Amino acid sequence: MDAKGGGAHGGRGDSALILPAECEKDTPPHRLPTTPRSSPRPAPSPLPEPQRHQLSNGVPLVQLDLPEAPLVCLDFWCRAGSASESASESGMAHFLEHMVFKGSAQLPAGEFDRRIEALGGSSNAATGFDDVHFHVLIPPEAATQALELLLDLVLRPRLDPDDFAMERQVVLEELAQSEDQPEEVAFQELLRLACPQHAYGLPILGRREALEAHHPEAMAAFHRRHYRADRCCLTMAGPLSRLDLPSRLQDSALAELAAAEGPAAITPLQLSPGSTTLELPRLEAARLLMAWRLPGAADQDSVVGGDLLTTLLAEGRRSRLVERLREQLRLVESIDLDLNVLEAGCLVLLEAVCEPEQLQAVEREVKQVLQELLAQPPSAAELERARRLVGNGYRFSLEAPGSVAAMVGNSALWGRQHNLEAPLAWLQTWDAQRLHEQLSGLLDPARSFSLRAVPS
Amino acid sequence: MSSQLEQRQLAGGCPLWLLHRNGPAILSAKLWLRGGSSADPIGQRGAAQLLAGLLSRGCGELSGEALADLVEGSGAGLRCEAGEDGTLLSLKCASDDAPQLLPLLLQMVQSPWLVDDQIALERQLNLQTLQRQREDPFQVCHDLLRRQLYGEGPYGHDPLGVEAELEQLGRPQLQQLAGNLGRDGSVLVLAGAIPDDVEALLLAGVETGHWPAEAPLRRAGPDGAGNAGLCSAEDDTEQLVLMLGCTTTALGSPQALALRLLHCHLGVGMSSRLFVTLREEHGLAYDVGVHHPARLGAAPFVFHLSSSSERAGEATAELLQEWQRLLEEPLTQAELALALAKFRGQEALGRQTCSQLADRLALVLGHGLPADFADQCLEQAAQLTPADLQQAAQALLQRPSLSLCGPAEALQAAERVWNRNPLSH
Repeated sequence: MDAKGGGAHGGRGDSALILPAECEKDTPPHRLPTTPRSSPRPAPSPLPEPQRHQLSNGVPLVQLDLPEAPLVCLDFWCRAGSASESASESGMAHFLEHMVFKGSAQLPAGEFDRRIEALGGSSNAATGFDDVHFHVLIPPEAATQALELLLDLVLRPRLDPDDFAMERQVVLEELAQSEDQPEEVAFQELLRLACPQHAYGLPILGRREALEAHHPEAMAAFHRRHYRADRCCLTMAGPLSRLDLPSRLQDSALAELAAAEGPAAITPLQLSPGSTTLELPRLEAARLLMAWRLPGAADQDSVVGGDLLTTLLAEGRRSRLVERLREQLRLVESIDLDLNVLEAGCLVLLEAVCEPEQLQAVEREVKQVLQELLAQPPSAAELERARRLVGNGYRFSLEAPGSVAAMVGNSALWGRQHNLEAPLAWLQTWDAQRLHEQLSGLLDPARSFSLRAVPS
Repeated sequence: MSSQLEQRQLAGGCPLWLLHRNGPAILSAKLWLRGGSSADPIGQRGAAQLLAGLLSRGCGELSGEALADLVEGSGAGLRCEAGEDGTLLSLKCASDDAPQLLPLLLQMVQSPWLVDDQIALERQLNLQTLQRQREDPFQVCHDLLRRQLYGEGPYGHDPLGVEAELEQLGRPQLQQLAGNLGRDGSVLVLAGAIPDDVEALLLAGVETGHWPAEAPLRRAGPDGAGNAGLCSAEDDTEQLVLMLGCTTTALGSPQALALRLLHCHLGVGMSSRLFVTLREEHGLAYDVGVHHPARLGAAPFVFHLSSSSERAGEATAELLQEWQRLLEEPLTQAELALALAKFRGQEALGRQTCSQLADRLALVLGHGLPADFADQCLEQAAQLTPADLQQAAQALLQRPSLSLCGPAEALQAAERVWNRNPLSH
């Protein structure tokens, strides 16, 4: 489960065409900004430099020129994830993300999608704990028009009561669909127990009763409160050189946004260590899930270090956990360790899939591997391996305008203004000793919450 | 786009296509070998995937561990997977690392180790994955429909295999299969920043200096079983999963392009017909769409939807009505224009990265189609009329089957609607 990307608008994964979607299975873009070349070599083509502007009301604009890309990505970001909800607003951030596509005063429901897709583009959105973003991929000649449509849609949603009632059904179906996946139920329970008293412990999709009680006026108030000049940003990536997009924005809905009455505070995440067992119907294989807290996204240095550690531990056959538990002891079908980059504290989430009778051994061995990590610094060779995997993952993710825009947009939204080379430099600052002293200890099993899910 | 396509041939006969690209110093290589899970021998379903997984577990002079050290130590990605029509080896790396990594491709194909210990591990992992997949009601519904549409035929099973047969697979069967890898058609595509001495690098690990292989020829692929009807699985879920579909036609066949435009019309993007009617107008589902992969043989064409079990009857009726509508009503000119725009847009979306470009080219060439097939399709699609699309629907989509997975009362409600519907007779 990718907490940051939870609850996308629309399950339209089946992209089409001459070729089927399923023939392309690239590694997903790395969530983390990070990447260097590890040894001195001929210089690759330089990474594009972000061009930064600001509207008169302070909204940051970032442009990245990728002359070789066939499409432009326009990506609007706002600090209005589920962590911005009050208790009675459970699920509102995500429900609003759905309602945005139901049109504005100028755009009837469905008109936005029809026009973007008729221009050869596509759009989507995703709501996370911290933020929400709406993005469009579009041929460069239609980018200006798409930008105008996108901002109108996102900033002036109509929130029609009939549409609201209909879309609530869709959101409830989305909730039911996720509840039919026992693995998702187990992850949700892990977060609930590991992050009590915090928004990260609550479902982005919301509680069913809360969703049933929501009404359009409350949603409009949520929108007014959070979609503000000092809580938004806009990123544009792709072949931009002939487009003068910033000048188009001077009179746009974005330029008319007022600032909020003060910055929203981020509640730091406290993770409660502990352990539980959960019986789940319809589960075929048992799961060991574990969660740890690492420093939040603002500490970019630690985020890069965390990426190195999780890669060293669980990325590839020669990583410590995969090698020990899957290749040698053969206790698991798979074992994954993901770093979820979040503002209030990053979450490292482990998932091991195994036969129920192996669960105890799996937990013992995972803890053993982590104790070994705590006991001494990693070897130079395995650190170098992790550095190159993380570095190339980042480099590969820079190929497509969509992932570049998302990375840069998320950073800009939270006031982080590094260029694309910077993560490569950070990656070089970590050596085995510093990882050992500053980060490895945070993955102590005693600091984790672990959940064993077994078939009922 | 500043890319340039070049065709060469490797010693031994395998076509080599090079797509030179400016931009980041990245290289993507795709080696397509015809004969995926549809070529699994009788009684050995799962063999192609098991073999694919083993290719990276030791080859030539490298043990599985040494190979993993080399690949992961370069920060590269390597994947070997069997699909229905072929086995695909994918390598993605920084182009500076190409000299040490490119020789692996043919080495894996020509001299895999296939040691018993690694076979046992890979087989166990595949068996566990098959078991875990049953947690997912979409997978259960999809497996049922595949069984209904393709029966015991070559497309009738998951590429991972059939448990009872996979359990019996061992070194003798795999060695036999490995000896024939590529003989039935193969093609190698490289995209990105390509080194100058690429052929020498590719053949560096091959002792004889050549690899006997042939270009994939155009030929007919597997058919459906000719069955139509209802299949269902009871499961204690909140939602009912519905899949309505039939077997159709091969990539590149006369009506395939018309069908692809119907796919765009019905299932691509949020302006698509199924999305708008079933989700936006009726609120029946979150996830709704069309599954229609490219195949060498009779590709499936499937509507899919999941809806609360208390709305099972309504969801079934609406889904059937959309299918019926395809047969009875031609698209309007506006609908056709939108479908065409989406077709072009999806093409652009799928040409963004080196891997995407190499992947699409390998698939087209692997099917024995020309390298400019996609561009030809873009031109031909503009000539199609609403009548062409309707004729394709009437020729290919007459008798769909319905697959259901969900709680008993939802199954009953859906079955009642199905039994009354003309499409079920």
